[in-house]
Amino acid sequence: MTDAASSSGQKYLGGAGAGPRPLIARADVLVFLCALAFVTIVATLMAQAGWVSTSFVKLLGKTLCLCIAALAMDLVWGFTGILSLGHFAFFGIGGYAIGMWLMWSRTEGIVLETLSRAPLPATPLEIEEAIGSQIFGVVGSSDVPALWTFAGSLPLQLAFAVLVPGAIALIFGWLAFRSRVVGVYLSILTQAGTLALSLWLFQNDNGLRGNNGLSGLQNIPGLSGTPQSTLSLWFLWGSAVALALAYLLAAWTVSGRFGSVLRGIRDDEARVRFLGYEVERYKLAVFTGTAMACGVAGALYYPQAGIVNPAEIAPIASIYLAVWVAIGGRGRLYGAVIGAAVVSLASSWFTGGGAPDIDLGFYEIKWTDWWLVLLGLSFVAVTLFAPKGLGGLVDLWTARRAMRRQGDLGPDQGALRAEEESR
Amino acid sequence: MSALLEVSGVTKTFDGFRAIDDLSFSVNEPELRAIIGPNGAGKTTFMDLVTGKIRPDAGTICYGDLSRDLTKMSEAQIARAGIGRKFQKPTVFEDQTVEENLTMALAAPRAPFAVLFRRTDARVAARGAAARVGLEDRMQTPAGVLSHGQKQWLEIGMLLAQEPRLLLVDEPAAGMTSAERERTTEMLVEAAKTRAVVVIEHDMEFVRRLNCRVTVLHEGHALAEGSLDHVCADPRVIDVYLGRQEAADA
Repeated sequence: MTDAASSSGQKYLGGAGAGPRPLIARADVLVFLCALAFVTIVATLMAQAGWVSTSFVKLLGKTLCLCIAALAMDLVWGFTGILSLGHFAFFGIGGYAIGMWLMWSRTEGIVLETLSRAPLPATPLEIEEAIGSQIFGVVGSSDVPALWTFAGSLPLQLAFAVLVPGAIALIFGWLAFRSRVVGVYLSILTQAGTLALSLWLFQNDNGLRGNNGLSGLQNIPGLSGTPQSTLSLWFLWGSAVALALAYLLAAWTVSGRFGSVLRGIRDDEARVRFLGYEVERYKLAVFTGTAMACGVAGALYYPQAGIVNPAEIAPIASIYLAVWVAIGGRGRLYGAVIGAAVVSLASSWFTGGGAPDIDLGFYEIKWTDWWLVLLGLSFVAVTLFAPKGLGGLVDLWTARRAMRRQGDLGPDQGALRAEEESR
Repeated sequence: MSALLEVSGVTKTFDGFRAIDDLSFSVNEPELRAIIGPNGAGKTTFMDLVTGKIRPDAGTICYGDLSRDLTKMSEAQIARAGIGRKFQKPTVFEDQTVEENLTMALAAPRAPFAVLFRRTDARVAARGAAARVGLEDRMQTPAGVLSHGQKQWLEIGMLLAQEPRLLLVDEPAAGMTSAERERTTEMLVEAAKTRAVVVIEHDMEFVRRLNCRVTVLHEGHALAEGSLDHVCADPRVIDVYLGRQEAADA
């Protein structure tokens, strides 16, 4: 930065790079949006030409949703320094909320059609009982639980997909941050909360079908005539638009003074307090906002996945989320997206039998078994050798490596030493 | 001149050790005040008490025109009420530029939603704050690559940008070259023309240059107060300083 010291001050008032540029004109935002549009368009064209399968389009759409969750994780961990090991639970809750409507409405349609053939018109009670036994027969019940009161309403269930994660995050965060629980203790607390939630979901009598979860979510009520190949494309586009909006929103959030405060909280929260900022409120705002974003992402993901069950909410899923962000690069938004996309696509490739097994003669490496070992090793390698993650490669590309000198390490030239020596 | 900060009968005990013992003294506005004392005299604990990092076991700390009791306010509330604190070690946000550091400190609404939604261009104000500490040419430099002295100035600049009425400065001259000390002295004397500045310092030479009223802290209470020459002539002060010296030599 010697050029900065020698140049005139005037340059900074109007100079390029000094001022806040409009979000859309920022290089990373622009490149990201173009890349996203490119991927979406190419996938669409290839799907219509029949070169890629419907399940591949779904995989792509699901990956985009995971990228939204990774963005949220980056905001809360990479920027604010809260290592939440529970954000994937919010994603799952979003899935459950939309899944309830999908299952209910579709079952309602089937039941109405069946009952219409009966000699007498069915009463509302009979219809509800029929739906209940259809949905809950698998857990040996036919009563409709109170949780499903609003399952017939799409707007309400959509609202729940956002508001339930938001409310849980708000209450949990308020309790935790107010007591100044930080660092590893907060991580353990979030993980314990996630574990409790998933254990509760595994119960058969909780009204959410226990470990069966909600299934058949790929069948969208009212669109039974539309083939899955078309639906998968619609969801891909919807996911791409949602990811684009999420990226813009995240970039806007971490820009300017708000972003400065977040990074300040990550690096030294006591100092931020002495600057007059209520650190706890900032943490709560970010924690809650990202939980809601995860809810939206989950609501888009599970209709493409077709099934949501308690295993999705288990703590391991939230740990994966942290691993994606760490591999992609914490503290930069595109890093989170790259990490989520690369790792989850690689995971599908390795576990889906795409990767050729390696025959060592005395032992055959089957990737379906060894993928997790490979993932674990890459996580360790990234942590040790490339703390900036895959996103750090961009620094090499732009040759704009951030100068870093933490604390009092390294030779200190002293601001006025040259001046002193000349005396 | 009126008392801006009134500390009366404050006591703070850590595991039976009385770090602050029935401490009473006051600071006027504007005023430059130095607090000196041997190691363990309770200088930093005093700062922690005033800025709300820790709570006293007894006593009151009243501040401002309304005599608000600081012991009942959070750190952030105290900071917003106009008390700025500079730490012993330079604590700036190393990953962020000089401009970002200063912008965070500038007096402006601090509630999350106000900061998120009401975005104002603070570049001119940040530049002004940088100019006060001679860093206007370094606006886009990450704070982490500044020299030790420049970091100290950036921190002082951030404090001034907060527009505090009371500035608490913990060992500002530590680790500085002598030319940097001179600049720092000027900055503090200048700042004290319009506000109260309390400097905690080890270095007698630096305190002499500040040329201000001095409070000697010893074992958690104020031992003597007055000009530096006056307190240095005080037999109790000599005893505390030289007595320790002899004990250390023995």
